[in-house]
Amino acid sequence: MSSVKNLKYLTGPLSANNPVIVQILGICSSLAVTVKLKPAIVMGLSVMVVTAFSNLVMSLLRKGIPSRIRIIVQLVVIAALVIIVDQFLKAYVYDVSKQLSVYVGLIITNCIIMGRVEAFALGNKPWASFLDGIGNGLGYSFILIIIAFIRELFGSGQLFGFQVIPESWYAANGGFYTNNGLMLLPPMALIIVGCIIWIHRSYNKDLQEK
Amino acid sequence: MATKKFKCKVCGYIHEGDKAPEKCPVCQAPASEFELVSGGGIDKNSNWYIILYSTVMVVIVAAILAVTAMSLQQRQNDNVLNEKKNAILKSLGAVDANGTPTENYDQYITAYAVNDKGETIEGVTADQALDMLFDLKGAITNKTYPVFRSADGRYVFPVTGQGLWDVIWGYVALEGDMNTVVGVVLDHKGETPGLGAEIATDKHQAQYVGKKIFEGTDFVSIKLKKGGAKPEDANFSHEVDAITGGTKTSDGVSAMLYDCLKNYIPYFEAVASENAAADTDANTAEEVSNEQNVENNE
Repeated sequence: MSSVKNLKYLTGPLSANNPVIVQILGICSSLAVTVKLKPAIVMGLSVMVVTAFSNLVMSLLRKGIPSRIRIIVQLVVIAALVIIVDQFLKAYVYDVSKQLSVYVGLIITNCIIMGRVEAFALGNKPWASFLDGIGNGLGYSFILIIIAFIRELFGSGQLFGFQVIPESWYAANGGFYTNNGLMLLPPMALIIVGCIIWIHRSYNKDLQEK
Repeated sequence: MATKKFKCKVCGYIHEGDKAPEKCPVCQAPASEFELVSGGGIDKNSNWYIILYSTVMVVIVAAILAVTAMSLQQRQNDNVLNEKKNAILKSLGAVDANGTPTENYDQYITAYAVNDKGETIEGVTADQALDMLFDLKGAITNKTYPVFRSADGRYVFPVTGQGLWDVIWGYVALEGDMNTVVGVVLDHKGETPGLGAEIATDKHQAQYVGKKIFEGTDFVSIKLKKGGAKPEDANFSHEVDAITGGTKTSDGVSAMLYDCLKNYIPYFEAVASENAAADTDANTAEEVSNEQNVENNE
């Protein structure tokens, strides 16, 4: 196994095979947790941890799993990992965990994870599967961060909770600027995802449908 | 010559022979659907193997989860406790714009519990009073009502009730006169976002400031009024705007405030008469008066 191939597992999902904008998986959570950057990053990291380790565990188990119950085994492994991540978030970043609320639990149903386990981990060696999980987690986080950056900047004039747009610009302080309230609502995230897909495809001709 | 085993991927039929059959005798799938089963060893699709496999897996996973949950429990409880402390400070207005407390809870707040006669229960420590917040309903059933008093003589009373979908709870801070509301913090577990969940917003909670829970000597609590509270209404000092589209939640909040604050009426009266006594004391002998009572007189 060459390191070039390994690198491809890691970088492929960042652009050419991105889980959100090419495979169109995990859209639901990318709408829900991207109002602010901090929860988006925590969510991205959580998904990355879960994809990486569920891929790793499933790949290690792949030879012993009875194929009749393999989906159930996948669910148990993924659910256990998600619960562990949730417990850690509750213990160490309680405020973010409250903001993410049910979406941490819903990582279990995130299509990216099940999709990667079924499509990749069951047929590949552990290390390659682990890298594939990290890559897909990164690709997901990458898109989440772009969306959250745009939404937080234009929706509340902040980045990571710090005021970026000067207070004196605001209409309330005699300026000309008002935050875009639509940015805070889920439909705007969908529109941003659409725009990212549009830009991405216009640069990647091979992804365009004929 | 050892025979090889081929398994039909469609129906699970096992064929023994040198190569896969042209057609599966059970489901008619073509030879391409057959895969070579690694010879010997255990049959991974036998019922025993599956039962054993799932049992072992479940036990291992359960053990891992139990260990994780137990080792992180202490930290999680501390976080929840911290949030409750912050909510108490917030109801007193002791937080800055970002919600960071400006007072140290342990120095600023004295916690104790009172009974249904308004007497302070002996032997309830501050930690125990705080612990009651985890099961406030149970504490109320036992006729133990936790009270949180700030260093500047204001009081916070925890309340709990039922919203539309799930429990709602909050903290009502009163001035030393046991009548004027300093601030209210409300929270909920699962009210509808955008409708009932609006009770947890600062915008809704700001309305409670300055409202009165007594009309003369009668306890009236504070109601969330459908259609909005208007300054010209007779009961304006006891009403705030209900949540549009969240009538059930609003009713729940009204009921919660009434039912829970009602328990403290004997205590309100006890404090009021104590203050009155302190007033006369203060008038006759100035050295008795302390900062707290002076503030109450104002």
